[in-house]
Amino acid sequence: MTATPVTTSTERAAPRSVPLFPVIVELVQRNMLAITRVPAAVGPILVMPIFFMIAFAGSYSAITAIPGFPTDNIYNWFVPYACIQGAAFGGIGIGFGTARDLENGFYDRLLLAPAGRRALVLGPLGTSLVRSTFPLVTVLPLGIVLGADWPGFTGLAMLILTGGIFACCTGLWALGVVYRLRNQRSLGLVQVGIFATLFLSIGQVPLAVMEGWLHGAARFNPTTNLLRMARQGFLDDGVTWTLTWPGLVASAAMLAGLGLFALTGLRRLDD
Amino acid sequence: MTVGIEPHRTASADLHPVRHLDAFVVMARRSVIGFFRQPASWIFGAAFPLLIAAVSASAFARATSLQDFPDSRSFLQFLLAGTILQGTLFGSINASTDLALDIENGFMDRLLASPVSRVSILVSRLAGAATYGAGVTLFYVVVFRLFGAPVEGGIPGIVVMVVLAMVMAIGVGGYGAAVGLRTGSAEAVGNSFPLLFILLFISSAFFPVELMSGAYRRVAELNPITYVIDACRHQVLEGFSLGEAVVGLLVAVAFAASTIAFALLQLRRKLADVS
Amino acid sequence: MQRHFGEVEAVRRVDLEVSQGEIYGFLGPNGAGKSTTVRMLTTLLKPTAGRATVAGFDVATSAHQVRRRIGVALQDAAIDPLMTGNELLRLQATLHGIGRRAGRVRGAELLERVGLTEAGDRRVGTYSGGMRRRLDLALSLIHEPEVLFLDEPTTGLDPSSRQNLWSEVRRLNAEGTTVFLTTQYLEEADELAHRVGIIDGGLIVREGTPIALKEAVGSPTLRLDVLATDLDEARTVMAAFGEARPAREGRIAIGLENGANRLAEVVRALDERNIEVLTMELDAPSLDDVFADATGRRLEGADEQGEAGP
Repeated sequence: MTATPVTTSTERAAPRSVPLFPVIVELVQRNMLAITRVPAAVGPILVMPIFFMIAFAGSYSAITAIPGFPTDNIYNWFVPYACIQGAAFGGIGIGFGTARDLENGFYDRLLLAPAGRRALVLGPLGTSLVRSTFPLVTVLPLGIVLGADWPGFTGLAMLILTGGIFACCTGLWALGVVYRLRNQRSLGLVQVGIFATLFLSIGQVPLAVMEGWLHGAARFNPTTNLLRMARQGFLDDGVTWTLTWPGLVASAAMLAGLGLFALTGLRRLDD
Repeated sequence: MTVGIEPHRTASADLHPVRHLDAFVVMARRSVIGFFRQPASWIFGAAFPLLIAAVSASAFARATSLQDFPDSRSFLQFLLAGTILQGTLFGSINASTDLALDIENGFMDRLLASPVSRVSILVSRLAGAATYGAGVTLFYVVVFRLFGAPVEGGIPGIVVMVVLAMVMAIGVGGYGAAVGLRTGSAEAVGNSFPLLFILLFISSAFFPVELMSGAYRRVAELNPITYVIDACRHQVLEGFSLGEAVVGLLVAVAFAASTIAFALLQLRRKLADVS
Repeated sequence: MQRHFGEVEAVRRVDLEVSQGEIYGFLGPNGAGKSTTVRMLTTLLKPTAGRATVAGFDVATSAHQVRRRIGVALQDAAIDPLMTGNELLRLQATLHGIGRRAGRVRGAELLERVGLTEAGDRRVGTYSGGMRRRLDLALSLIHEPEVLFLDEPTTGLDPSSRQNLWSEVRRLNAEGTTVFLTTQYLEEADELAHRVGIIDGGLIVREGTPIALKEAVGSPTLRLDVLATDLDEARTVMAAFGEARPAREGRIAIGLENGANRLAEVVRALDERNIEVLTMELDAPSLDDVFADATGRRLEGADEQGEAGP
C-alpha cells in the first residue's frame, strides 16, 4: 500500500525528539498509582514479606543450632531473605500491570509513542526499584525490633543494592514472560520462576547445611550469590569483597540474560 | 399488593417425596466430576507441596539430629503429614471457588429453589474437595514411600490419614464456602487463601512445635491444624494409634462443623437478603 | 499490503492512497480487516508482505518517524481507569517529548476542546463511554499529529455523542489534519469521508467518493413486502423492472431502472396480478447498496437480521 502524501502543515509544530528520562519518570509515576490508588493492593505488598520473615524465623528458629550455620540469631538469617523476597514481589507487580495493559489495550498507547522502546522496559524497572525499598521500611525495622542485628551502613547498602538488583531481575523475567504470552494467566509462570529460584538457593539454609540434589542446584544458582551479598552485614564476618564480587558477577549475568529475554519479548509484540 | 397463584393440583399427596440421600449423591457426584474435569486447577495444587517437600527435605535434612526433633527416618518422613494438609488445603480452595462460581452464574439459585436441604447443598458441593483430599493423601503416601519415607502405621495409619484429610477438606471448604456466600465472588475466595496459608505455616506442618520458641510456639500449639497434623504424623512416624487418631478426628470434626455452621449462617443471610 | 495470522488471511490485499487533508473512510463489516490494516499503518503490526508509507515514512523501516507524526485512537479507547484525564494527558505529552509546562497548556486546551475541562481531575473510571472517546481523541491530538487514525471511533456511542465526535473530526480536518477513519457505520462514512474504501474479506472491493460510488450503482432500490403466498409471482413481475438486489428473507428488492418514473408502472403491474402490496420503499442508492453490489451482502443491520441474496 502507498499512503504517502501527507506533509507537514506550516502551522503545525515540528515532530520532537523524545528524551528518555522524563518518559521513565512518568511511567514509574503511573505504575505507582496502581499501588497508591488501590488500598487493597497495598496490604499484601507490605504485609507478606513481614509474614514470611516471622513465619520462617518462628518455624525454623532451632536450625541455627545445626553445625555449620553461620549465625546463632535466626533473624539475622531471615530478615535479609524476607527483604529480597519482598523486592521480588516488585517484579511480579510490574508483570501484573504490564499484562493488564496488554490485555485491555492500554499498552498500544505506549507502543505508539515515539519514545524509545527502551523506556517501556526501563519505566517498569524503575517501578521495581522503588518497590524494592518497601520491605526495607517494613521488614527491616521490625526485624531489628524482634532481634536482628543492625547490619551497619555498608551492610545496609549491600542489602539495598541486592534488593534493587533482584527486583530488576524479577521485573525483567516478568516482562519477558508477559510480552510473550500477553495475558494475566502468564503470571502463574512468572511466580513459579521467581519462587523456584529462591527455593533452589540458600534462601532457607546455607550450603554447608544442605544435603543432596538441592546442594548442587543451590551451588550453581546465581541467586545464591546475590543472597550471600545481601546477608553480609548481618552475619559474623561482615561485608567482604570475597562475598561481594561473586554477587556482582551473578547480578551482571542475570541482568544481561534476563534483559535480553525481556527485550526480545518486547520486539515480538510488533510481529 | 398480594399475589395468589393457585396450584395446579390440590392433593398434596400427588407431590413427589424428596429423596434427600439421592439428591445428595447426585449433587456430590456433580461436584466430584466438575472438580476432576478441571485438572489445570488442581494439578499445580498437588505438585506444589511435593516441590516444597523436596526442597525442605534437602534443606533441613540435618535438622533431624537436633535435640527434641521427633524420631524419624528422615526429614522427608517428618514432612508427610504437613504435605498432606497442604495439598488438601489447595484442593479445598478450588472446591470453594467452584461454589462461588455457582453463585456467580446463578446455578446456586436453582439448587436453593429445590426442596433439598441447605446442608446437603453445601456439603455435597465440597464432596469434590473431600475426594481430592483422599486421593492426594494416597498419592503423597505412595510418592513418599518411593523416596524412602513410609507410613509406620501401615494400612490402619493410612486410613486414619485419609479420613482426617477428608474431614479437613470439608472444613477448609466450609470456610471458603462462607467467604464465597458472603461475597458471591470467586476472586474473593481465592484471595482468602493467604489466611489459610498463614494458619498452616504457624502450625507443626513444616517443623516440630517442640523446636519453636516464644509467642510463635504458643500460637502454633493452640492452632487446631497442629492437632490434626500431629495425629497424622503419629501414624507416620510412630505407628498406628487409635488415641491420637481420635484426638485428631475430634479437632477436625469440630473445625469442619464450625466452618460449615459459619457457611450456613452466611447462606441464611444471603437468602434473607434475597427474599 | 498483506497480513496473515498463521493460516488466516486477515488482510489479503490492500492497496490505497490517501491525500493530505483528506478524510478517508475505511468501511467494512466486523472481521473485514479494518483494524488489522490500521494496526499495520500505525506501526503496531508488521505486514506479512507489501509495504506502506505514512506521512512519507515506511511503517516497517521508519516506524519511529511514523509514530512522531501520527495520532491514534484505537477501537476500545483503552484508558487506565485509575488515572485522571489530566494525568493521562501529561503521560501522553511526555511520551511524545513535550515538556511539562507545554504539555499542561496543550492538555488544558484539548480538554476544553472536547468538553472535559471539569472532568479533568476525575478518575477515568468514572467517565461515561462518550467521555472516554472524547478523552481518547484529546490524547491522540496532544502532539498535533499530521495524520489521525480513528479506529471505529463512535462504536457504542449514543447518537448525540456520535454527532459531537463527528463535528470534532470535521473541525480537525478543516485545520489540516488528514484523517483515516475506520467504521462499520454507513452513515458515518457518508457524512464524514471525502473518499471511501470498502473492505470485505481482507480485500478492498470498491473505492471512491461516496457520490461517485453511489452513482456507479445506478438505479435506486425498490423494496417490496407482499404476502408470502404472492412472493414468487411478485418476483416474476418485478424482474421486468430491474435486476434483483440482496434483501432479507421474505422481501423483494430490485434496482429500479429509470428510477421513480417507473413507480406507477410497477404498482399497476402488481395490481393487474392482484398482488397485495404490504409496504413499498424506494431508496436512492446508498453506500449499503454499493456494499451489496460489491459483495452480494448487506452491511446495514447485517448483525441483527440475516441478509439473504436475491
